[in-house]
Amino acid sequence: MDFEVSEEQEQLRASVADVLARECPPSLARARVEGGDAPVQPWRSAVELGWTGIALPEAWGGLGLSFEELGLVVEEHGRALAPGPFLATTTWFAPLVRETGDEVAGARWLAAVARGECTGSAAWGPDLAGRDAGVRARRDGDAWILEGTQRFVLDGDSADELAVAAQVEAGDGCALFLVPQQALKCQRVVSLDASRPLAHVGFDGVRVAPDRVLGEPGASRGVLARAREEASVALALETVGTCRTLFERVLEHARQRVQFGRPIGSFQAVQHKCADMFVQIEKARATAHFAMMVIAEDDPRRALAASLAKAAAGDCQRLVAKEAIQIHGGMGFTWESDVHLFARRAKTGDLLLGTAREHRARLAALLEL
Amino acid sequence: MKLHYDDATERFRAELRAWLEENQPDVAAVRADPSRSSAHVPEWARAWQERLFDAGWLVPGWPPELGGRNATPVQQLVYFEEMARIPVMRSYNPQGLTIIAPSLRDFASPAQQARFLVPSLRAQITWCLGMSEPGAGSDLAGLQTRAELQGDRFLVTGQKVWTSGAAHSDFCFCFVRTDSEAPKHRGISVLVIDMRSPGIDVRSMPELTDRERADFNEVFFDGVVVPRENLVGPLNQGWSMAAGSLAHERGMLWTSQAARLEQQIDRLRELARTPGSDGRRLGEDAVFRDRVASLYVDVQALRCMGYRGFAKFAHGEAAPEHSVLKLFGSEIEQRLCLVALEAQGAEGLDVDWAGFGMMGDREPPWANRYLHTFANTIAGGTSEIQRNIIAQRVLGLPRS
Repeated sequence: MDFEVSEEQEQLRASVADVLARECPPSLARARVEGGDAPVQPWRSAVELGWTGIALPEAWGGLGLSFEELGLVVEEHGRALAPGPFLATTTWFAPLVRETGDEVAGARWLAAVARGECTGSAAWGPDLAGRDAGVRARRDGDAWILEGTQRFVLDGDSADELAVAAQVEAGDGCALFLVPQQALKCQRVVSLDASRPLAHVGFDGVRVAPDRVLGEPGASRGVLARAREEASVALALETVGTCRTLFERVLEHARQRVQFGRPIGSFQAVQHKCADMFVQIEKARATAHFAMMVIAEDDPRRALAASLAKAAAGDCQRLVAKEAIQIHGGMGFTWESDVHLFARRAKTGDLLLGTAREHRARLAALLEL
Repeated sequence: MKLHYDDATERFRAELRAWLEENQPDVAAVRADPSRSSAHVPEWARAWQERLFDAGWLVPGWPPELGGRNATPVQQLVYFEEMARIPVMRSYNPQGLTIIAPSLRDFASPAQQARFLVPSLRAQITWCLGMSEPGAGSDLAGLQTRAELQGDRFLVTGQKVWTSGAAHSDFCFCFVRTDSEAPKHRGISVLVIDMRSPGIDVRSMPELTDRERADFNEVFFDGVVVPRENLVGPLNQGWSMAAGSLAHERGMLWTSQAARLEQQIDRLRELARTPGSDGRRLGEDAVFRDRVASLYVDVQALRCMGYRGFAKFAHGEAAPEHSVLKLFGSEIEQRLCLVALEAQGAEGLDVDWAGFGMMGDREPPWANRYLHTFANTIAGGTSEIQRNIIAQRVLGLPRS
């Protein structure tokens, strides 16, 4: 039992933090939010330094490390408010391809991810509320035809490859396919955090060749669930990272902003809000790190741990994003302040892949209430 | 990072479990003579604590002569996990074992240690802690109970309040003012006061949960004579002991708190199977499900936070981060009891304790448990004081 990161992991984390502090100031996310093109950084550094393949096997050009190392890199990306394809590619696309156990696909697509030649994302299928019909697949000789729409796909109109969960009329009803960007009909969403681009993705009779079918169609529900657990934990870690930076800014502001002749951080009303935010951050961080270890060790508590982490991260951002704007006062209410950029990112982290409330509903079921 | 303990640690756990299996107090004996306060140690409890001491299972981190076995921090963690699983406490004078004994060990003279330390560990003597006063609750350093040095003795006059176990304890570990001219933190000393001394008047003060059960007392001192040799640590330097005392308590307290909360989550799961006011199973109520799941998240988080900060806490240092666990843990428990109580509806109003007792068949009513949770959000530094500590000492915000 050891919740402390190892010395090597701490060195990795510190070096990632250094690089991101240099290459990825919040102005990158701001430029993206204000309508700029997708930035070159920090993706280029991620490729050069091997972060894109950090948890991929060495046979595919990865570093052969575990989800713990990937998780720490993701948390630092959240701290830096990093824009770009890193999250979707390494924590949505890669796990879904890897979990199918398809060695040929792994050697082809994940090796390309490790080299930085391929970005990806995932269309996870219908949401829990059934608002989204999702994508259906039918056989056409030895190929497949995809029809339907997947809404709110992260990097949906920019990822090179999309791993798509579609309904089939066989086995467990779930099949996985790889579809290249040019085959998709995308509609960009005007989203809360434009540095985290979302698109509605249409499949208008997309023909998928047999070499782009992942695993056995009709036997993919388990694969999908496992990949989604991993993606949820990664998103929780990213949200924790974003909240931590936001909270540091709150503390800095509370120490420096003087009203009534005193720093506002000396007022008990502000101090108690900060203490409560800190408790939520510690809570979210500890559960996210627990879940990170559970995924890395492939412990049987995966489903439980993933929902714990996602729910705790949701609780955390709810308080931190709110109080961060409030404590920054008039300054926090301006476009010019970066506070809202972090708040937008943190909110997005909660609303994607199931909100805190949805994950609590899942926990209630796991607890057999 | 590792999710599991290594084999050697698991062997340590197995050894402890086997020992506990053999040596736990007999249920009938416990029910026949329950402890009535935090310093009332029935014969079975004294014998049990002595067995723990002799086997080195009382304070495993300490050496054998002090009831331990020089256990490593990880072993101590496992020890507290296991002790939370059994229905009896280590000691029925918890303040004596977890607050006063460590303070004696750190600050008392060899002669004082010989007289008080081992007898306390063996439950031969019991203690109350003389800290709070009517005018000194959160502002503990404002305490007014005066001790005047006259030759080789102190004369103590004043009043303590909310003093747990005072009616049953042999000695009071008492914080007194020995210099009324000095700044308030620098005029405080600690005396060991024999509770049988003339001039001490103990009046019981039942807590809000039950008029018939009092652990609290008011303690009045009127010219009580205390020999100078009972001064613990240097004169006027008792304040550091006050902070240190409570830190001892918190180092691993979260382990048993997390275990207790996990047991209460199980009670909520049982409650979910009972009908709610609309006749349906409570477990079908979306709000109840959400609240229980939320509490479950918090309880698991408390455990993860404890493990994460463990390296720091393991050394028994006064880490201000303890405040996070104290604040969070006590507030979870309060929310949890309230969720259960409100889920019960009018049923929750039945607060008949009949049949409840130590190791009794019945759980105490949720309403009483809810009221009792204020013990933890108030004692040992209120939740508001914990927030001040977090803001100022952990986060470095300026003092108000």
